[in-house]
Amino acid sequence: MKIDDIMYSKMQSEIAALASSINEIVGKFKKLQHPLTESREKVPKATEQLDKISEQTAQATHQMLDTVEGITQREEQVKQRLNTLKEKITSGNLDGAEELIDSLIKTAEQTYEDVYTIMDTLQFQDITSQQINHAASLLEEVELRLHKIISVYNGQDSSMTEECTDSEKAKRVYDPHADFSDKKATQADIDNLFARKAES
Amino acid sequence: MANLKILAIDDSPTMRRIIINTLKRAGYEDIVEAGDGKEAIAKLKVEDVNFVITDWNMPEMDGLTFVNTIRAMDEYKNLPILMVTTRSVKEDIVEALKAGVNNYIVKPFTPETLKQKIVETISK
Repeated sequence: MKIDDIMYSKMQSEIAALASSINEIVGKFKKLQHPLTESREKVPKATEQLDKISEQTAQATHQMLDTVEGITQREEQVKQRLNTLKEKITSGNLDGAEELIDSLIKTAEQTYEDVYTIMDTLQFQDITSQQINHAASLLEEVELRLHKIISVYNGQDSSMTEECTDSEKAKRVYDPHADFSDKKATQADIDNLFARKAES
Repeated sequence: MANLKILAIDDSPTMRRIIINTLKRAGYEDIVEAGDGKEAIAKLKVEDVNFVITDWNMPEMDGLTFVNTIRAMDEYKNLPILMVTTRSVKEDIVEALKAGVNNYIVKPFTPETLKQKIVETISK
């Protein structure tokens, strides 16, 4: 065998090995493309959910603070009226006492209503906890994709990673559309659907 | 109103407290509670419940599976069910309707709506 032939044969096998390596890398990149694209979409979605949580928590907190401020202001008036009433009783001059008592009853009723308004507003806790679960689930998906990428590079079986995360994910229950103010259907729409069903 | 025994099902203890408080304020005093569909079925077997308020998204057994399960049992075929959930997508509502839910409210709800839907459901 001539030297040229030996060189040619060596080069041929090197090029074949190089081609095989390139092929392997391309294959790996193809495998990475899907998880990367999915991750790129999921991170902004999770951020959007977290922004929504912060906005809706603030909205609910403001509603509750407004109500609490109303109660506090009225309590000041209650104190003043009770003092006036006490003076009237002590002095024996009960002129206007009945009106004072009526206004105190009215205030107590208003406070009772306001306390229930606060309780109703606390429903935001259920809604935001579902939004948090949704955001956490999206971030877990991203984590899974990143683990997959690492597995592909290390030549490991990526399905194992998926199985582990699936068992964790099963614990999270949420409505991806849960929202404090943006309802997809109004109560009237829902009532119409049920009315139509009753008619049929 | 007085003879209505209500089973309130929700995985969120906060929501259960809100629902129970709203019911008591509306005059419904006899209330039992459950954290998911499985626990609710166990409660139905031992308590003489004649009205159910259920959430949809719950661990172990969700509200829709719960409704499908009890509607397949003869003794609960006509038990009035009001679903109170965050799910407001039309397809979900239709699915609940098909499963046998009698009325449906989307969270957050007002005490007036809850009261009105209970009265509506029992008078149907």
